[in-house]
Amino acid sequence: MIKWIRWSGLAGFVVVVALIAALWLLALGPLMKMAVEKYGSEAVGAQVNVEDISLGFNPLSLTVTGVQVADKNAPMENVVSFDTAVATLEAFPLLLGHIIVPDVTLSGVALGTQRSFSGELVVEAQEEEESKEETASTDEGSSNNSDSDSETAEAQEGDILPSSDEILARENLLTTQYGKDLEDSYKQHKQTIDTALANIPNEDALKNYETELNNILKGKFKNVEDFKQRKKEFDALNAKFKQDKLAIAELTKAVKESKTGLNQKWSKLKDAPAQDFANLKGKYKLDGAGATNLAALLFGDDVGGYAKTALEYYEIVSPLLSDDEAKAEMQELKDKRLEGRLVHFKSDNPLPEFWIKTLSFTMQLPELEQGTGSVGEVAVKVQDITNQQDVINAPMRLLATGKNLKNMDSLKITGVMDHRKSPSKDLFDLNLQGWQLTNVKLGLVGLKLVSSKASVTAKAVFTKGAMDVVGNGLFKQAKFDTKDTTFVAKEMNAALKNVNQFTVSTSANGELKSPNISLRSDLDKQLNSAFNKRIKQKQAELEADLKEKLNEQLLAYGGDYAEQLKELNLTEGSLKEKGKALEKLAKSEISTYEAQLKAEADAEKARAKAKIDAEKARMKADADAKKAEEKAKIDAEKARAKAKLKAEEDRKKKELEEKAKAKLKKLFG
Amino acid sequence: MFNFVGKFFKLLNGDASPGQIALGFSFALFIGLTPFFSLHNLIIFFFVFAIRVNLGAFFLGSAVFALLAFGIDPLSIKVGEYLLNDPDLLSMWTELYQSDVWRAFKFNHTLLLGSVVISILLFIPMLFISRFIVSTYRVRIMKWFEKLKISKMLKASKFYKYYERLGE
Repeated sequence: MIKWIRWSGLAGFVVVVALIAALWLLALGPLMKMAVEKYGSEAVGAQVNVEDISLGFNPLSLTVTGVQVADKNAPMENVVSFDTAVATLEAFPLLLGHIIVPDVTLSGVALGTQRSFSGELVVEAQEEEESKEETASTDEGSSNNSDSDSETAEAQEGDILPSSDEILARENLLTTQYGKDLEDSYKQHKQTIDTALANIPNEDALKNYETELNNILKGKFKNVEDFKQRKKEFDALNAKFKQDKLAIAELTKAVKESKTGLNQKWSKLKDAPAQDFANLKGKYKLDGAGATNLAALLFGDDVGGYAKTALEYYEIVSPLLSDDEAKAEMQELKDKRLEGRLVHFKSDNPLPEFWIKTLSFTMQLPELEQGTGSVGEVAVKVQDITNQQDVINAPMRLLATGKNLKNMDSLKITGVMDHRKSPSKDLFDLNLQGWQLTNVKLGLVGLKLVSSKASVTAKAVFTKGAMDVVGNGLFKQAKFDTKDTTFVAKEMNAALKNVNQFTVSTSANGELKSPNISLRSDLDKQLNSAFNKRIKQKQAELEADLKEKLNEQLLAYGGDYAEQLKELNLTEGSLKEKGKALEKLAKSEISTYEAQLKAEADAEKARAKAKIDAEKARMKADADAKKAEEKAKIDAEKARAKAKLKAEEDRKKKELEEKAKAKLKKLFG
Repeated sequence: MFNFVGKFFKLLNGDASPGQIALGFSFALFIGLTPFFSLHNLIIFFFVFAIRVNLGAFFLGSAVFALLAFGIDPLSIKVGEYLLNDPDLLSMWTELYQSDVWRAFKFNHTLLLGSVVISILLFIPMLFISRFIVSTYRVRIMKWFEKLKISKMLKASKFYKYYERLGE
């Protein structure tokens, strides 16, 4: 049996395999460091720096030291950093290229630490420079916006309500929209009209036509040549008339269309300020029910800041959890029949490409106010971190629990990020109890929440691209104070003296990048009566100011166009006149020479006939007059005789009646 | 091509035992027909180096079978598909799938499983057939061939010199 063994070959095999393994192990650390830095940087959009990665063998483990993940928005700061991470590895999956990490423990985890060098990606910096050059105008616009933002912030600090300028800058106004619309429309129509206008004859040209026409028609034709010459000139003039008539018709049409279009837009623009005002009034209604804006002004900046930071972290993590590329590769593999495929079976031991089964670390919470120190620690445990949740059939789970908390009874954050099916669904819960707040600036008339014990609960649901967040805070034993001596500050302070506890509710829903955020507080209700007077007065001022500003905007857009419309009306009138003049000229005709002679004879004939007719008419009129006079005389005679007869009859009738009355008297008397 | 043929005849005409040559060809089935970068091939290499297998036959056979694999791959995939999807074997595959060691061997890959099975099935026949061919060649054909005039002429030719040079 031993004679079958080739000892030299066996030794050679062992040496070669050992050599390959040694090289692989030596190269693994630097290779992994390169890979983590390269792909990590690409994933977060800023530098990811690793000091060292070393390999351990009993058990197989990786130790990563000095990791810094730069903040892409603030390159001199780290989003997160840690001193060491010790990860155990499963050996056999590693042979298949699967990185399965049963446990990772991080130490020295910190958020927002300062960097000694910039964490900006070089390529990104170049691209940004290019984009800066390209969007110089946009930047100008945005800087204007930022100016107005800072103005807004200042305005908020000094006053209860946002100023009218701030409201107008913040809101998307119909006045602006319709104004721009009218402006664009006017430019377009003007171009059309100008083009058509260039083709029509002016007053001088019209007079010239008339003179030319009179010259052609003046006097009698001397002979046939004269007639032909005049006819030729007349035809040429007629052709010009027709061309000019067409040009005028086109211009008239253009002006008519412009008038209609601009009139419609103008009337929309005229109505826009009223509509804008109604909208703004509704939105910035500052009675009891609509006092949500007051809560937003009191707490909005802080809540908005926290939410923004949280969303930034979420946007970094979320895409890493679904591995679309891997799914596409899998499909591609299935399509390539000749290369074979992997058949998967049910398993209690699934093997994704990358899987950290448990990641745990403890980190310091940031200090709330400078010099007060950290509020404590939070122990974080994350389970099942992988880009192939469908393979392990489990979502990523997060549990963060407060430890050694200062001024806080308990803090618990749980999260489930489920990317197994599309659309993905991520849930987060926050529960914070007994948070002792002291001297919290409320950013309004120097107002401070001197002390309060708060409990906060929040629930956030993220489905693909959309969010739904609801948060509630209960603030007990609240004490407020302000050092400001203004009327508002005094009134507010007085009102807040009676407030022992209040709630703040916030909700955010809609698209992840532009959610609809609302913030409500029963503090508004409590302050309502105290503020009603002040608010009414302030609202009236605001309304007046708004109206004025909106009208200014209307004038800015509409002023010129009203004049332009008048001009258009005048132009239209002038065009009508010109059109009539041309019509009149066009009706003029030149007849043939023979026709002219015939016309003259006919005219003579007509004149003689007219004379005879006139004589006849005069004689007939005289005869009729005489007849009428005689008839009138006879009729007068007849009337007189008739009247005489009637008077005689009446007299006789009266005599008979008197005789009858006398007889009756005798009989009964 | 000459190089290839030359090596083949040199091997047949050499002193290596037919059994070692046959074993070399048989092990070459695995290297040639199955995907090269697989864990089982490490075991094959271990056997080939540790046992007195004719390395010339092994490497020559590996090259030949790697060429043949282009034609055999579709059959290997079919065999792998059939076996991995056979309901009777499902429990066995599922059990093996639970083990990291077995999964490291990628037994659940259709091409790999099919080609390994084909290699195993051909291993014994290849061993006996190639041994028989080498022995028969040496006993009958080689001696008969050497006696031929033409072979003597060939030995004096440039081709033979080239062939000899390859064997050195």
